[in-house]
Amino acid sequence: MYVRALPTTDVNRNTEWFTYPGVWTTYILILFFSWLLVLSVFHCSPGIAWTIVHLAHFTVTYHSFHWKKGTPFGDDQGIYNRLTWWEQIDNGKQLTRNRKFLTVVPVVLYLIASHTTDYQHPMLFLNTLAVFVMVVAKFPHMHKVRIFGINGDQ
Amino acid sequence: MITIPYLTAVSTYFSYGLLFAFGQLRDFFRRFIDWWLTTNLHGYAPICLGHEDFYIRRLYHRIQDCFERPISSAPDAWFDVVERYSNDNNKTFKRTTKTSRCLNLGSYNYLGFGSFDEYCTPRVIESLKKFSASTCSSRVDAGTTFVHAELEECVTRFVGKPAAVVFGMGYATNSAIIPVLIGKGGLIISDSLNHSSIVNGARGSGATIRVFQHNTPSHLERVLREQIADGQPRTHRPWKKIIVVVEGIYSMEGEICHLPEVVAICKKYKAYVYLDEAHSIGAIGKTGKGICELLGVDTADVDVMMGTFTKSFGSCGGYIAGSKELVQYLKHQCPAHLYATSIPTPSAQQIISAIKVILGEDGSNRGAQKLARIRENSNFFRAELQKMGFEVLGDNDSPVMPIMLYNPAKIPAFSRECLRQKVAVVVVGFPATPLLLARARICISASHSREDLIRALKVISKVGDLSGIKYFPAEPKKIEQTKNDIKLD
Repeated sequence: MYVRALPTTDVNRNTEWFTYPGVWTTYILILFFSWLLVLSVFHCSPGIAWTIVHLAHFTVTYHSFHWKKGTPFGDDQGIYNRLTWWEQIDNGKQLTRNRKFLTVVPVVLYLIASHTTDYQHPMLFLNTLAVFVMVVAKFPHMHKVRIFGINGDQ
Repeated sequence: MITIPYLTAVSTYFSYGLLFAFGQLRDFFRRFIDWWLTTNLHGYAPICLGHEDFYIRRLYHRIQDCFERPISSAPDAWFDVVERYSNDNNKTFKRTTKTSRCLNLGSYNYLGFGSFDEYCTPRVIESLKKFSASTCSSRVDAGTTFVHAELEECVTRFVGKPAAVVFGMGYATNSAIIPVLIGKGGLIISDSLNHSSIVNGARGSGATIRVFQHNTPSHLERVLREQIADGQPRTHRPWKKIIVVVEGIYSMEGEICHLPEVVAICKKYKAYVYLDEAHSIGAIGKTGKGICELLGVDTADVDVMMGTFTKSFGSCGGYIAGSKELVQYLKHQCPAHLYATSIPTPSAQQIISAIKVILGEDGSNRGAQKLARIRENSNFFRAELQKMGFEVLGDNDSPVMPIMLYNPAKIPAFSRECLRQKVAVVVVGFPATPLLLARARICISASHSREDLIRALKVISKVGDLSGIKYFPAEPKKIEQTKNDIKLD
């Protein structure tokens, strides 16, 4: 079955790919298949597997969305060098559909992880910390904010 | 409008994710290894900031043998591609002395002026002997010969405007002219898929830039209305000048601009129109005069017409055609005219001769034949590719046809397998195209014969089957009885 790819007006090639169809499905499928992978490699319970997926997701997405700044190619002459990927997406407009989706995914993962581990410690503590940091980092008020100068410019 | 199979979109994202993840892993280990090795450059700033060379090092270098292949003959319909080999996994290449004769589907040789031409080449050689290879000066110092004046007069006759100015480089024409035409306090509205020369010129001008959805006049109107109502960014004063920049044929899509609607909207809202005819001048239109002739737009309605001589005229350089006042202003202000070296005289002579051939002033009808042949070739090739089930972009009559590949692994697969079968194609990926939409771009020339095209179709069909890019169902083959088509087996 076919989808139509409408041309976007986003000139930032680093974030434009997120506006095409199929991204959300790919994201969810990657999470699901990584859960299956963790289950088959570590032979653990489903709850521990979801916790591992949640924490790995936290590490990867925090690093790529909220830590790394700029774009991975040099064609745009560095105009986005001070912005993280999260701040570049949708041209900096807040509360778009993409941003809402990306905020909901860690929360849903947290709920699944805590439910399948029956809210036991220490997994609950780690999961809660991860989701707290993730969701706070995505608030509209945190746009271009660098707490205590962490990850600020030289 | 690009139609993607959903599964292909999902698998393409996954492939890029995997490539990205592997790249990060290798970078991680490389940082460890480099920490052990000492360097004697202490205190120097790094050459690349952050990870702006990540894409080049980890994705582009893997398939670098598909790009920048050296050739060793003129870019005719068939040419010699130099064979290279790499000892360090595609980071550096060594050329061999062997060449392979391949069918050229990549050069912008639309009218076949890219190689020896019986009218143009003797005149160019004569001009080379008389004037030598370069003028060694800018236009205002000692770089204007009577050939340059004749060239500008030829261009005005060809394009249909009162005056024209010619520059030595097509990219520099855009990036040096736009800052002269508009400055801070002006507004540039450009199509989202405009060429990087226009983007650089717009950024260098200091004007505010807004983008409208590719080739969608209704979105252009909406952006114009919103911007005119809003005014300048902080002061909300009215804009000093509004220029709308569009291209004749978009080089990555092969689509022809909806120029009549764009011109009507610009007239309504009193914005200037800047038309970049790099690929369309000389290639479309009944007598080759470009998109205005094809779509029936009066050239007086387009304020600035820009074009390049690299594609249809077999030379180098670019021109700007407009009113006499505009061209006089440009000749006094534009740095590309005042300081850059003027176009070499033999190249100027090549353009004059090519224009004479196209207009039929050399006494033969070769120009009309070339134009008819490129139109026939493009329409035949595009129709056959679509019948085979490929997804081909572009409008009818456009000599540029991208075949969609999507998946990053199919980019080198298509390119290398075609080269093995002696067909040279150009593949384009991120970041020249959007991430998802990698393509192989085919440029048809008037010097391709029908047999060349049929051979290319056979090879592309076989390679397409091998790489799995026939995303649409193929039409059942029928035996054509009309005398124009040849039966394909």
